[in-house]
Amino acid sequence: MPSDKNNKIPFNEDNYTHNIERDNERKLDRRGFMKTLAGAAGVFAVSSLPWGAVAAKELMGLGEKEYPHKKITDVSKLAVGDSLEFKFPGEHDDAIIIRLNENKYVAYQNACTHLRCPVFWVKEQNQMVCPCHHGFFDAETGAPTAGPPRRPLPEIQVKVDNGAIYAVRVKRYEA
Amino acid sequence: MKRSYVGVAVLAFILFLNIIFTQYMVHQFFYENYVNTLIFCGLNIVLFPIALFAYKKMKNVKA
Repeated sequence: MPSDKNNKIPFNEDNYTHNIERDNERKLDRRGFMKTLAGAAGVFAVSSLPWGAVAAKELMGLGEKEYPHKKITDVSKLAVGDSLEFKFPGEHDDAIIIRLNENKYVAYQNACTHLRCPVFWVKEQNQMVCPCHHGFFDAETGAPTAGPPRRPLPEIQVKVDNGAIYAVRVKRYEA
Repeated sequence: MKRSYVGVAVLAFILFLNIIFTQYMVHQFFYENYVNTLIFCGLNIVLFPIALFAYKKMKNVKA
């Protein structure tokens, strides 16, 4: 025992009975429990920071990135009502382009927003279908219409230039 | 020595709110409603000083 405690009687110590020594007797009393709860609030606060940071980044449009334009195909090779699979923006990012009418092309990243199965264009049903769990997507907007998926397919902006179709960028979904 | 358990109740309620806000924040993030994500993130952060304040206020309260 340090001697300076003798000069202040009763000296300040963090237990109930200063003359009986018990280890950790204050560990899980009311005050210790409240301390734990306040600490838990701190953990929650710190752990929500990255979510806020990523959300802010998305809002500021930093996720909106323009990739080098990539030629998908020639207009003459894609008949009205047909679809074609391609890769954009990366080598392993499957995408699909659908020619809805003479001048309207839509393109989506075709990994299903449920469990990332490839989504196909079914001409006869006039919609996109995910065969894994029967998810259906509207071809005009990419929005899910039935089945497990709840989020739309990411849309790819396309540009027609000189009889060729180019993929320009991946659009962010706006709620 | 009687003690007041109001502080424990208050802090437990704050923890309850924390859980709710975190749940909302994560869900709104994946629904891509980023403004809502930021709102709940802010609420979660604001709860921490409130919890500290509640702890400091209540730790010595006797019934």
